Order: sequence, then C-alpha cells, then structure tokens
Amino acid sequence: MKHITIDVLVIGGGPAGLAAALEAKKQGVQEVMIMERDVELGGILQQCIHDGFGLHRFGKRLSGCEYAERFIQQVKAHHIHVKLKTTVIDILKDKTVFAMNAEEGMLKLQCGTIILAMGCRERTRSQVFIWGTRPSGVLTAGTVQRYINIEGYLPGKKAVILGSGDIGLIMARRMTLEGISVEGVYEIMKSPGGLKRNISQCLIDYDIPMHLSTTVVHIHGNNKLEGVTVAAVDDKRQPIEGTRRYIPCDLLVLAVGLIPENELSAKMGIEIDPKTKGPVVDESFMTSVEGVFAAGNVVTVYDLVDDVSITGEIAGRGAAKYLQGKLNQDTHYQMIHSTNLINLVVPQRFRKNNLENHLTVYMRVREEMKKVYIHGTMNDRVCLHKKLNIVSPPEMVVSNIKKEDISDKGDITMAIERG
Amino acid sequence: MKNKILKAIQSHEELAHYTIHIELSKEGIVTLRGEVDQWQHVVDIGHIAAKVKGIKNVVNDITVKGITIPKKDRSEEIRKVKASGHVRTCDVVIIGAGITGCAIARALSKYQLDIIVVDKNSDIAEGATKANNGNIHPGLIAKPGTLKAKLNIKGNAMYTKWAEELHFACNRTGSLGVVYHQSEWYLLKLLQFMKITRLGYLFKPLRQAMKVPGLKWLSGQEVQKLEPHIEGKPCGALLMTTMAIVEPYDVCLALAENAVMNGVSYMLDTEVIDVLTEHGQVKGVMTDKEVIRSKYVINCAGVYADHIAEMAGDRFYTIHPRRGAIAIFDKSRKGYFNRPLVSFSRTRGKKQHSKGGGACMTPEGNLLWGPTAKEIPDKEDKSVERTDMDYIHALGNHVTTNVKPSEIITFFAGVRAADYKEDFIISMSEKVDGFIHVAGIQSPGLASAPAIAEMVEDMIKKDQGCLHKNVHYNPIRKPRGKFRHMSHQEQDALIQKNPLYGHVICRCELITEGEIVDAIHGLIPATTLDAVKRRTRSGMGRCQGGFCGPKVLQILARELHKEPIEITLKGSNSYVLQKDNRR
Repeated sequence: MKHITIDVLVIGGGPAGLAAALEAKKQGVQEVMIMERDVELGGILQQCIHDGFGLHRFGKRLSGCEYAERFIQQVKAHHIHVKLKTTVIDILKDKTVFAMNAEEGMLKLQCGTIILAMGCRERTRSQVFIWGTRPSGVLTAGTVQRYINIEGYLPGKKAVILGSGDIGLIMARRMTLEGISVEGVYEIMKSPGGLKRNISQCLIDYDIPMHLSTTVVHIHGNNKLEGVTVAAVDDKRQPIEGTRRYIPCDLLVLAVGLIPENELSAKMGIEIDPKTKGPVVDESFMTSVEGVFAAGNVVTVYDLVDDVSITGEIAGRGAAKYLQGKLNQDTHYQMIHSTNLINLVVPQRFRKNNLENHLTVYMRVREEMKKVYIHGTMNDRVCLHKKLNIVSPPEMVVSNIKKEDISDKGDITMAIERG
Repeated sequence: MKNKILKAIQSHEELAHYTIHIELSKEGIVTLRGEVDQWQHVVDIGHIAAKVKGIKNVVNDITVKGITIPKKDRSEEIRKVKASGHVRTCDVVIIGAGITGCAIARALSKYQLDIIVVDKNSDIAEGATKANNGNIHPGLIAKPGTLKAKLNIKGNAMYTKWAEELHFACNRTGSLGVVYHQSEWYLLKLLQFMKITRLGYLFKPLRQAMKVPGLKWLSGQEVQKLEPHIEGKPCGALLMTTMAIVEPYDVCLALAENAVMNGVSYMLDTEVIDVLTEHGQVKGVMTDKEVIRSKYVINCAGVYADHIAEMAGDRFYTIHPRRGAIAIFDKSRKGYFNRPLVSFSRTRGKKQHSKGGGACMTPEGNLLWGPTAKEIPDKEDKSVERTDMDYIHALGNHVTTNVKPSEIITFFAGVRAADYKEDFIISMSEKVDGFIHVAGIQSPGLASAPAIAEMVEDMIKKDQGCLHKNVHYNPIRKPRGKFRHMSHQEQDALIQKNPLYGHVICRCELITEGEIVDAIHGLIPATTLDAVKRRTRSGMGRCQGGFCGPKVLQILARELHKEPIEITLKGSNSYVLQKDNRR
C-alpha cells in the first residue's frame, strides 16, 4: 500500500474542490492534492454544456465546461497534484484517508487538512414516493443529461418532467433541441423550483407547459415505461380525485431535488445539520472535526456555481490558516440561528476572531415574499438590516454582516420581515 | 359436496346473490364458473370452496365483470416452432429458474441426468424469488399439518449446509415475535407449557408447531436487552432461534451456478409455449425457440404453474396472484435491530393467508419493512400503491416509530403464487407420467426450498428405480470475495492482481469494475442492469443507480460486444437508451 503525506487533500474535483485547492495553494500551502473519481476535473460542470455560468465571477455567460476549464488551467499552472480516477473510500478522524485507483492500488494518505468537496446527488423516485411499477425509462435529470451530453444517446422519444428545479428546466430545453418531445413539466409545489431566467429561457421560449401544484402519481409499465398518471394536488400535496390524467410517454425525468453527498463525512463522525443535510460549518467552513473543511454543494445545495466557488475559496483559506496555525480555535463558537421563514442558514456558527472584514451568511427562505427586510439581531441589537425586493426558495439569500457590527459574545438570529 | 360449497358461498352476505356453477370431479377437484363484481369475490369464493372438507383443490374460472385477462393465443408460435424443426433432447426439463427450480436442478445434478432449466425471463430469480424479504422462517406460522409446515421446518434446518457449501450469506439471527399485551403473553406462556410438557402433541392442530425447534420465551426486559431500539415496553417475546436471513437472489444464483458447474444447462429468455405429452406420458416441452424432448418435466413456473399444468392437461389448481410490497431502508440504519421482529399483538388483516411482514433486515444491513398481502387479478402487476406503503409503515411502527419513511431508498413488489388450498402442491401428475407439479410455492417457499428439492429428488429416484451418481458432482461453489468486505490490505492486493478492482463504479455500495465484469462473465451471465445489480449490488444503494447506471451500461455493452442501445434494464423491451444521436 502506497503511503502519501500531503498538506491539503481536497476530495472532489468539481467547482468547489477546484476553487478550494487553488485558494489553499495561493495562500502558501506547499502540497495540495485534488482527488477526483472521474476521468477529468470539473465534476458535474463537464456535462453542463448550457451557458449561464460565471455571470457573477467572470461577468460572462460561460458553459459549465468553460467555467470549469478556467479553474482547471489555474490548477495546472499552480502545480497542484491531481489524482484522477481515484475514489476515496474511508476517512479516519485523525485525517488518514484511504483512496484507491486502478494504477496504484490502495493509497494511504496522511493529511494536514482535508477539504470535503464531494458535491451532491439527486433524489430518486422512491424518495418522493411516486407509486407504480419500476420499468426502464425513469431517470433522474442528471443521468439524462449525462446520457445526452456526454455519452451521446437519447433515453426516450416522449418525456414528462417531474420537478421544476433548474436541472429539470434545462433538460426540458436540451431534450427539445435533441428531438425528444417534452409533454410538460410538473411541479408539486405552488411555485417553480428553478431560477426565473431558466423558466423563461428553457420553457417559455420553447412552448413547454409548466403545471404547478401537479405531480406524477403513478408510473405504468412493467418492463419499459408506458406512461404516467398525473394529478393536481391540494394544500397538503395530496392528489385531488377527478384530476387524474394519463400521459403516454417513454421517459420520466426526475428533477426532484439534490441531497449533499455526505456518506464519508457521516462515517467519520462529522456533525450533520438535518436542515442542510451537510456538515455544520463555521465561518471558515471548518466542520465539527478539527482541520476538516467542507465546501460547495456538500455543505448545502447552492443555485449558482459562483457561490460554490466562493465557499471553496473560504474553505481553502481556512485550511491554509489552519496549517499555518493562524486559525483561532480557543474561543467558543457563536451561533447563527434563524426564524421560521428561513429554512436554512450556512454557516451555522462562527468565531469572531477569525473573521476578516465580514461574515457571509447564506440563507434559503421558505416561500416567495416581496418587499421584505432581512434582519440580523445580536443581543437585541441589530447587526444587519437590508431591504430586498423579492426573495424566493430557489434563490439563496446571501448577506454580509460587517465584523464591526458583530458583538464579541452572543448569537446572531436571522429573520425575514415583511415590509 | 356441491351443495355444501354452494351453501358456504351463500352464507356470505356479499356473495349470496351470485350464480356460481360448480363442477366436482371424482378426485375432489372443484371447478368454479360464473361472474362476479370484484376480484376479491373471485378469491373469496375460491377459498370458501377449498375449505370444504374433502376438496382436493379448486380450479377457479370465475370472471369479473369488466375485467378481461387476455389469454395469449400460442397456436401461431407453436406452428412456427414445429415448422422450424429445432429439437434437442435431455432427461429433465425444469420450467422456471426461481429458487425452487434452481434448487431442484442442483439436487438432480448429483445424478447422471441431462438437465435443462428454462425461464422466460432474461435472468434467474426474476419472479417471487427476487422480491421477498429473504426470511428463512422457523416454521411456526405455517398452518400445522400442511406440507408447507413440514417442509418449512425441514428446509430451514437444511440451510446451514447449503450456506456452507454454496457460500452465500446466511445469518441465523433468530427472530422475535413480540407481544405487548398481557393476555397474549399468557397465551404464549401456555404454548411454552404445552411444549415443555409435550402436551401440545395431543392436539392435532398444534402437533406441527410443537416440532419447531429452538423456541425460547423471553421476558420484556430480556427483549429490550436484545433489541434496545424496540418500541415501548413489550410484555415479552417468543424468540425463534432458527430464523435466518439471506439475500434470496444470492441463494438462487449460488444454486444455479453450482448446478451449472455440475452440468445443468440454463436457457433464459426462453418461454415454454406448450407441454408435449403422448399417451399419458410427458415427452418434453415446446419453447418459443425449439422443442426440448425430455423424460421429465418439472413445473416450477411460479404464478404461471397453473398455465403450465393446463398445457400438460392436468390443471387441478388455480394460482391466484397475491402481491406483496416491501420497503427497503438506507444502510445507515445498519444494526438498528439485530433480528427480524414481528409484533404478535397487531391485528392481522382478516384475509391474511400469507404471512404478513414486520421489520427485518438484509445480511448487508438494510432494514426492510413488509411485505403486504394483496389479492390481484393480474399476475404481472408489480406496482406499489400508497395504501401498501401505509400498511408497511404501520407494520414497522409496531416495533419502532423512529425509522422514518424518508429513509426509504426504494420499494418494490413481488407476486406470490398462492393456490386456493394455500399449501404447496408437490406431486407427480396423476394424469401425465413424468410431469411433476411444484406449484403454490408461496411463503415460506424460500425457507422450504431445500426440502422441496429433496422431495422432488426422491420422487424421481423412486420413479426411475435407480439413478446413477454423477461422479463429477461437486457441491461446493467457491466463495466469492466481496471487495467491500475486505480489509484495505486485501483490497490493495486484489487491485495489484487485477486493476479493474481499483475502479469504483458504484460509490454508494463500493462496487468495483472487476466485480461487475466478473458478474457479466459468471456461470449465469448477468446481461442486464438489474442482473448486474443483483449479482454485485451496484445501483442498490441510496442513489439507486443514478451515478453508476450509465457506467454499468457501458461496461455491459463493452463486455457483451453490444451497442449501448441494446442494453436493457431487465430484459424484454426494457431498453434504457433509444438511439445514438451523434452518428
């Protein structure tokens, strides 16, 4: 078994991992390594041939591949070690990592710090309880995207899409362009799950109907998908009798949400936030295990790759500071709470001493609201007060709280107040 | 007797108004005809007739208004196969590559017999075998006095040797029948008293139950000690130490592979369209591809056993399909319970002819809730409904309310092959020599399989007078190393030997390319995505093949020298891809 010692090991070569590795290196860490299961860097971005990536960061509409390429070039230029086709199978609390590939066999790595950047996976039909049979032709949107964009195959002729998250919307357009007829997009919630720009560019531009408060209730066909039954749902998301409609189709595309991929994290005993399904992180995106950081969609699912890259950089900087002994770990954590209109908040806690200029807080709201105030309080004192024209669940709210507005003691409570 | 049956039917308010025609053969076979309003009534009437004393079995031809179950016209196919002139010969044809078919094939491979197993599906274990909870029941619940009860107890004991020889996972965990009410506890204690004093043997209905070995009575405290996560405060439990858990498709594969090692041939994707007989003697079968002439035909066709029996001209039972749905949970709950648990206190459904389920687990550590039991008209109906899941959830809730439906990674259904006597039918045909019925094999068919195979083996031995031993017979199927169960050192050594083991394909279950390639080139080759899944577990984890599906499909295409568009999920027309859009 080959033994390797490394300062920063980044697990996952997607947007979060790339940004994290690069930042750690830029901060002066000697030996940085990215470990990637796939045959190339870039993660899921490599199958995202549509544009719209990097608007914030580069001010340009890049494709996923182009966005990844910009980071990959820099990773190469900065002499970061990259191990492709290598899968991490075990992480121990003392930061020993076991990984394997075909060329070298089992690798045992002793790491100064670890950055978890494994991304997320897609929810399946069983997790959203779609009844019926189990034929072929029921695929997640990401899998369909892979088949079409990477492998070059079409998995059907007539498709129904369940879920109006961004991947579902983008696949509606993509499939239409490839000659698959898309019958419609069905969304169980009252409002769409994806970004507004995707609804306009992927559905409206192609005359693909979206059915809100409607879901797929039954899958038909024992071997090959023959059709689905859809139905409108009531306030409790239960199908309304009399609204059932059978749609013949040979492809059901599921875009029903993403779940952070934290099997390795949970196995090594990292505390997981039940709301985000990702590790509880602090201002430097350090997890509950000292010296182990997390970045990107493994922490919580972001809407924009730009945010994923930013969290990668925060974690990369944190890892570098940790190695250099500059990360304060003496003081107690101060917590960030949220009220019920906010679904989740990242990071969940912080140490004020480690903040540079401000604390960036990511929040996802429960429902669409117009003309609201985002409100942060600390010991009955306001530390953030910002007006927002609109907030909605598909778009994460990002707020910076100035360091000088943060007290030395006490927790922060984030709230949304209707204007 | 006819009147007795009529009277029994009419005594039910719901059924009284139907006109049912009853025929009775001198062998005690009842044939029912008529039309009713709902499927459940067809089943109810069948059961009522079967219960009448002296009735051997029931052929139920009652139809339901508005439901036509189409019967395939095979005459054109039969003509074609006849015209093709393709004929092969062997000694024994086994119809059905499920657990019983494969067990019988292996048992008979001890002798100098040329054996062919045919199955219409693209893989073995595609029927009820793949879709049950893998419980090797102790034999207490099967109705005393039935063939089921006898073979269950016997088969259960035989599993130890099977597992040793065939190297499949078989964990003898024992199971707990938990009671929460004092009154039920007294009943169980009474059973204990009768067992200890051997008093139970005096009561005919109890005799079989008294033969179940390894029963222990535990106090509530002892139960909580064994199962710390159990719900509430049980009064006590019956520990059935002989319960074992297996992966049913794994057992079936082990049997099939060992049978192949010993000379048995498998013809998958091959459907029997006729049974050939001459002068009361079976002569073989006609498949959709060719004629196979043989001395014996063994009918292990599961839900279709009655159709095959009809082809042979000896239809004396009807299989009424009973669907069972099961939910499977994420492995992260591994070890939550240590053994299958069922609450004896729950109120069972009034028509619970098969065992209702409870909470159990797979040898790999996934929790399983279920199965349900629902009578359905369509033998192919493997759908799962919301009501199934509600029932499954209630079953689980009896022993814990801490496992949430959100932890379910998938649910599925299987169809049990129940006849109206609700017992196994294992016998040489009385009308066609050499045709053997192995029908009505529902729960506890998996547990009984070794004993069923032995029974059929004895039947052929007796019929044949003398069978020559296959001198090359080897009961041992080599252990199959599972990458995920190895130490990192062992894993490293394996990768150094074959780099394909260094490439992880399924990350949820840690399955390597090496294992997938092995499965594709195994003794029973895995040729579909689902077959690879059952051999290796790739796609069985929490992402359900979202990540590994496309990769496994590529490997299948590469190894089978096929185009990716030719690869199916589970045979037949279950293609995953439509066309290559880049060429």
